[in-house]
Amino acid sequence: MTEVSNGARSRIVLNELTKIYGSGGGQVPAVDAVSFDVREGEFVALIGPSGCGKSTILNMMAGLIPISDGEILIDETQVITGTPTPKVGYVFQRDTVFPWRTVRKNIGLGLELNRVPKAQREAEVDRLVERAGLGGFEDAFPITLSGGMRQRVSLMRTLIMRPEILLMDEPFGALDTHTKLEMHKLLLEIWNKEKQTVVFVTHDLGEALTLSDKIIVLSARPGRLKEVFDVPFERPRDAVSLRETPEFSALFSKIWHSLGEEFRRTSAEG
Amino acid sequence: MLSENGWVNFWRVLLLVLILVVWQWGDVVNNWLVADFEKSWRKALTIQILEPFFISKPNMIWARFLELGCFTDSKGAWITSQEGGFAGCLAGNTNNLWAATVATLRNTFWGFLVGVGSGVVVGLILGRSDFLAKVFEPFIVAFNSLPRIALVPLIVLMFGLGDASKIMTAWVIVFFIVFFSTFEGARSVDRDHINVARLMGASDWQVTWTVVIPSTLAWVFAVLTPALSFSLIGVIIGEFIGAQIGLGKIIIEAEATLETADMMVALFVLMIVGVGLALMIRRLQAYLLRWQSQFSERA
Repeated sequence: MTEVSNGARSRIVLNELTKIYGSGGGQVPAVDAVSFDVREGEFVALIGPSGCGKSTILNMMAGLIPISDGEILIDETQVITGTPTPKVGYVFQRDTVFPWRTVRKNIGLGLELNRVPKAQREAEVDRLVERAGLGGFEDAFPITLSGGMRQRVSLMRTLIMRPEILLMDEPFGALDTHTKLEMHKLLLEIWNKEKQTVVFVTHDLGEALTLSDKIIVLSARPGRLKEVFDVPFERPRDAVSLRETPEFSALFSKIWHSLGEEFRRTSAEG
Repeated sequence: MLSENGWVNFWRVLLLVLILVVWQWGDVVNNWLVADFEKSWRKALTIQILEPFFISKPNMIWARFLELGCFTDSKGAWITSQEGGFAGCLAGNTNNLWAATVATLRNTFWGFLVGVGSGVVVGLILGRSDFLAKVFEPFIVAFNSLPRIALVPLIVLMFGLGDASKIMTAWVIVFFIVFFSTFEGARSVDRDHINVARLMGASDWQVTWTVVIPSTLAWVFAVLTPALSFSLIGVIIGEFIGAQIGLGKIIIEAEATLETADMMVALFVLMIVGVGLALMIRRLQAYLLRWQSQFSERA
């Protein structure tokens, strides 16, 4: 599975990754022998119907939940549950900004935890506040911000650690279409500059096509690898105009067909 | 015409005046009703509660207030014109209104502080340790189901008639309020908030300081208002059972000497103290919880 096609090395390798929830008679298979790899600087989208285990895969990659079988290697090192590595950043689906901290203190959290001196920390925070367009809201509490702004704070809180690998679990799932597009723009802008290796979980095909180099379609429960599509659109991309090109529509319907079978299976199971 | 607020205030003032008038002159009606014994059917219409013996009268309460507060002497003359003056009057009565109020407030403050402090510490420890929570659960349930007031005589027996027994009484009440809230809060810390910190390399200790304590404190701050009023209740009860000084002492003494006016003075001072404390703690709470929706200016 670690074949190298365009010269870049594999940073993440999944080997027969399996997750079974519960024990004894009540075992529920969630992820079934999924294998793929993600190369240096690649933007990979994991897509599938809800309950297909895509978030479970991401959680296992981050070491948040234990693996039942198989393995995950990040830079040839096995991921061990509960021992996070600083080079991996994680953005949650839920709003996880700390409500009791201001925007500034939320973004600076990671540096604070790693005992970075205050002056350096503040300079770094200012840079990210600027980049996320949160200027003027540095000392606001999250309760006063919109959902989109809160998710930008989340993203910046992760990016301040300068992770080489970004794991994103449906980070824009709860946002309205317009805000979502704004976030796509921001994310593409950042990624074009820093070229992190990204695994992005979503159930929004348009979003996957806009952002990623490769789309991995997972089957309905238990999650198995169904099909892998390359997304050959040129970079840098414009999150809005890209959607109007015929290539986008063509690839959209092709993947939609593959995905559609899985969504139907999910709804048939009810 | 008055605005809506104006009308609210109008009726409030009217109601107050009405209460004071009935209080001051309500007994005149009673006296008229029983004045003529032959028309005894009128006796049935008297309102016993309006007797000054039970409720005193505003002017008598005011006079006692001035006297207990060392503003005037027992004949109603201003104390400043007397020998010894204000200081002499204060020294002459150890349980004067000022000393009593200060003693009650001081013990309320300490009971509150000790109760909140210990409640938070124990709540955090048991909330974050399932093992300890299980070990202590039956003891806490048993102790908590005991009406706290029943403990007061024992506390007075153990700690005497001084401040310690009042602080202890407030403590046994406040502790449980704060403990249960902290315990709940410590158990309901958002797992993802902990994960966020862990993924950034936080140690156990850092997770405690940056996630567990701040998110639990929200639950603590939310009960500061009841904690403070229960601390005051605890102190007053402590003073009822056995004390040398305090507003509760004035009340219980007034009951023994049938001095309703003295009791009313202490009750009014307590009312003012209670309102003052509530306003203060609410401001503190609004500041500490300014990041929560109900206290946020913009939300």
